[in-house]
Amino acid sequence: MAQRVVKPKTNLGPGFWPVTAFIVLLSAVMVYFVYTSPMPIGLVQAGDPAPTVDELFRFLGAVAACIFNLVTIYTIYFGIVFARPKNAPPNTIGVQIHDAPVLEFWWTAIPTILVVILAIYSTKIWADLQNTQGDVLTVEAIGYQFGFQFRYPKLANPVVNELHLPLNTPTTIHITSRDVIHGFWIPELRMKADMVPGLITTIRVTPTRAGEYRIVCTEFCGVAHSKMYAKAVLESQQDFSKWFAKQGGASGGGGGSAGGTPLALGAGKADAGQTLFGQKCSACHSTGPYDQKQVGPGLGKLFSDPTHPKLVNGKDVTPQNVAALIHDGYQGDMGVMPSAQVNQISNSDIANLVAYLASLSKK
Amino acid sequence: MATVAPGVTTGPYHAVLDHIHPEPTSFIRKYIFSIDAKVIGIQYMITGAIFFAISGFMAELIRTQLLSPNGLIVSSATYNSIYSMHGSSMVWFVVIPLLTGAFGNFVMPMQIGARDVAFPWLNLVAFWIFPVAGVILFSSFLVGAPDAGWTEYPPISLLGPPGTNLWCIAVFLIGISSTMTGINFLVTIFKMRAPGMTFTRMPLFVWAQFATAPLSFIATTALGAALAALFIERVFGVPFYDPKRGGSPVLWQHMFWFYSHPAVYIMIIPGFGIISEVLPTFARKPIFGYKMIAFSSVAIALLSFSVWAHHMFTSGMAPWLQLPFMIVTMVIAIPTGVKIFSWMATLWGGAINWKTPALYATGFLITFTYGGLTGFFLAAIPADYHEHGTYFVVAHFHYVLYGGSIMSLFAGLYYWWPKMTGRMYNEKLGQLQFWLTFIGFNATFTPMHWLGLMGMPRRVATYDPQFTFWNQFASISSYVMAAGALLFIYILIDSLRNGKKAGPNPWGARTLEWMVSSPAPYYNFKKIPAVLAAPYDFGNPLPYLGLEAAPGATEATPTHSSHPVPTHL
Amino acid sequence: MAVSVAPAHGIGHGDDDHGHDDIIYRETRDMRLMGFVLFLGADVVLFSSYIFAYIYLRNSIPAWPPPGADGHQLPRLDTAFAAFNSIVLFGSGVTMHWALEHWKHANRSRFNVFMFLTILLGVGFLGGQAYEYAHAAIGGWSGNTFGASFFTLTGMHGLHVAVGVGFLIALWIQTTRGVYTKERFFGLTAGTLYWHFVDVIWVGLFFLFYLW
Repeated sequence: MAQRVVKPKTNLGPGFWPVTAFIVLLSAVMVYFVYTSPMPIGLVQAGDPAPTVDELFRFLGAVAACIFNLVTIYTIYFGIVFARPKNAPPNTIGVQIHDAPVLEFWWTAIPTILVVILAIYSTKIWADLQNTQGDVLTVEAIGYQFGFQFRYPKLANPVVNELHLPLNTPTTIHITSRDVIHGFWIPELRMKADMVPGLITTIRVTPTRAGEYRIVCTEFCGVAHSKMYAKAVLESQQDFSKWFAKQGGASGGGGGSAGGTPLALGAGKADAGQTLFGQKCSACHSTGPYDQKQVGPGLGKLFSDPTHPKLVNGKDVTPQNVAALIHDGYQGDMGVMPSAQVNQISNSDIANLVAYLASLSKK
Repeated sequence: MATVAPGVTTGPYHAVLDHIHPEPTSFIRKYIFSIDAKVIGIQYMITGAIFFAISGFMAELIRTQLLSPNGLIVSSATYNSIYSMHGSSMVWFVVIPLLTGAFGNFVMPMQIGARDVAFPWLNLVAFWIFPVAGVILFSSFLVGAPDAGWTEYPPISLLGPPGTNLWCIAVFLIGISSTMTGINFLVTIFKMRAPGMTFTRMPLFVWAQFATAPLSFIATTALGAALAALFIERVFGVPFYDPKRGGSPVLWQHMFWFYSHPAVYIMIIPGFGIISEVLPTFARKPIFGYKMIAFSSVAIALLSFSVWAHHMFTSGMAPWLQLPFMIVTMVIAIPTGVKIFSWMATLWGGAINWKTPALYATGFLITFTYGGLTGFFLAAIPADYHEHGTYFVVAHFHYVLYGGSIMSLFAGLYYWWPKMTGRMYNEKLGQLQFWLTFIGFNATFTPMHWLGLMGMPRRVATYDPQFTFWNQFASISSYVMAAGALLFIYILIDSLRNGKKAGPNPWGARTLEWMVSSPAPYYNFKKIPAVLAAPYDFGNPLPYLGLEAAPGATEATPTHSSHPVPTHL
Repeated sequence: MAVSVAPAHGIGHGDDDHGHDDIIYRETRDMRLMGFVLFLGADVVLFSSYIFAYIYLRNSIPAWPPPGADGHQLPRLDTAFAAFNSIVLFGSGVTMHWALEHWKHANRSRFNVFMFLTILLGVGFLGGQAYEYAHAAIGGWSGNTFGASFFTLTGMHGLHVAVGVGFLIALWIQTTRGVYTKERFFGLTAGTLYWHFVDVIWVGLFFLFYLW
């Protein structure tokens, strides 16, 4: 049976070279933008190692753009130009080639060289990260469900959910967890490490750009994982010293009486309590009825719900007992509630919270 | 041994193959407990499609939740279970069974000129484990579905809801099924090829199954060990992973990822095989670089065992240990790139018949490359420090899993649908379905790259309001994907009811499955043919000896001088 | 005997007898042997995974055995007894080998004797393990990582031995029903391979838990 074979092309296809030129041009433009953009991944560089890592992103982006253009545009071009003509007989076939050893050699060799270059470059950046200094300040970061605790040297009490770091100071952060695996990520610094219980992971950073940034938990850690954030405040060395002094000096900032002694509540302020509730409690408690549970029960009817007369620790629901519970925290079958010390809640804060909760129950 | 033709020595192989057992007559033995690999393949297809619909629905729940930064429709706890089940179901109950159990069973035996697989009863058992395991998995919703992702890292998974135990059992069971199938396919390919079909005359889809099969039974067993340990720790308190009792959470990660990285290759290499069949058929020219494509599949499968810790760069591994994993991960890009270029060269100079399978195969080239490139971003350790645990990873794996595996599954299903059912589908609707899917998919997942780079973590039911616009954009786009999926169901049902009858070879293809009627007869081939060459030479006659006319053939008896011609143009 | 590519007897069984029949048996046996060996390969991966876990856990603490519930370091296991039990198991491997040899030489009665000895020694090994489990004072299965790895790994091995004993008994029964002949005895080959596999695993476990 006769066949009509598409004439073997001695050229590469109509318009092949213009298309190739277009690919080269487009890639050049994209590489140009990748390399001249001040924020290659759209995020500011708040300190080391962000600039170093961003260089790697630029290089990866440039290479990826070229390869993506090559594959996509040639594929679309081949698809259009080599579509079978509408009226071609059914037995039309394409060019019967199986391979082209020279071409295959180059398209294996060039990617291999590219991979080698990328591997070497990535290794260099990796080595730079290993050699990052971190010897001036050391902080511990401890993750727990669902917050971050930071311990500074010479500071008796841990700081909760707020990491202050001085600019231009090589800092080492030793990271672990109290319970499950969490993640510790400061996007503007481009550094991340898992917070693994039983292990210490380490990152080294040197902040250079003042501002308030976020610390993000990046490993699923339980029901309130989506709400697990902390603040990273990168500030001048003077501001940092001022803040540090306030932490070290503030004895009322978290200490407090030993468990068992009833706390002196005083007149708490419900609106201050409301703000505090939003900051410290709403990750785990709603202001709805008891059954509107997040991690813990809803607290909207704490004092006015006869069907739930007891707190989680078995004590009756009274303002004193609620205050004591907030102060002491809770750890047991029902879960973990951080203590006031961990949450950095003072006694006056507790009073405000209790007042707020009481005002909710009255509604 | 007589020599019938150059390159063909008769041998003993055909002796086993030449037994045709009488077809079963009862409905149960024909369609329920069948040992016919084609029926089993279709059973896998239907079961996998059901789980795909369920998991896809869960995906739409995920995207709808993320329309609002405060989470639109469900609580965090529910959301966590939804994405965990979405991932678990898609990996173990959709992609792996469809690519290996469905297409492997239906296509591979015919492509090697066999009547069935090596162990048909094992095949039956392997299939039936699948729906049972799926029911066990989804029954976990009744007692509190697992909520720590498809990766279930301890310690959080030790504290997870009771459904986590059911998850362990379900995945363990389907692992057994996968292991059985891997062994079955490997023996089949080694021992049951038609006379004359040397390894370098095998279709590339068979090469793909050949490369995948060892992954199925070696890697999967390692996962079974990890799952069993997690189960006995949760239920009996046996300490492997709990650091408070001397265990190690990182140990789970090693054991889990030692399987799960090869698993992602189980999820793509058969897809590569499908693309390697579709492109030559629709371009009507030989596959470019047959040997390189075949060997690179094996190379990728081997290398896949040595990259697992690239999922663990931030876990506290010793830095010096991270480097070799980075290097090997990058090296895998080379055989993969060679394939992409070979496929592009297959399109070059073709007389491309733009039907839906060809659209999907070509779309695959673009989206899988995109996914592969972002994989490079993740392989580079310093970049991974920024990207790990963020939406960048979610974007990457959806590009390779949807833009790769699922696109290849669509290509394969449209391609082999006539062979399975004897009917054509509505081509215009098929093309519409492709564009809905392709555009919807890209619009859904591209924004996630920069969401991740800009600071959005993964596995979150709520997010920072700064990410609202792109999340909403992705969610609306996902509804376009969903429309494509619903249209797909309609196309299949419409084909079954109204589709034109397909002859034996509507696409004019050259592999052996197209040499028999559609649907294929119970015994596949009246006589096992002998094979003289690889199948892809459209310029040459068919390289088969001894084929009898397929019932319904519209041309003269296929002899060695025949050139199949598509009947659907 | 040359067989043509398109044989005259297309569907159903041919009328050329023995040669054809032998070929079919040989091919089927080859496939089953390959499948069985691959299955054993998967089983090796299973044990290797737990061995990896054991080595990892062991290396993650400074001293092994780890401390028990009372804070003191746990005692080591009784190597002498385990060595004796190992000899029992290895002995059963030897007897299994001879059983198969005698079968191949059509020595039915000797086959029976060695088969019996194999099963007896296998059961004996299991009894020894039961004794070891009762006397190993390492805090039980769920007490600590020592018990976790030891009882899980040796327990899995013991399960494999128990299944193996069942397998051998079933094979023996098959021989009494004339299922196997002097030339065709794939089941016995598989059983022997499985039994040797169980032995080899034990070599590894004995080294890892008693000698290291």
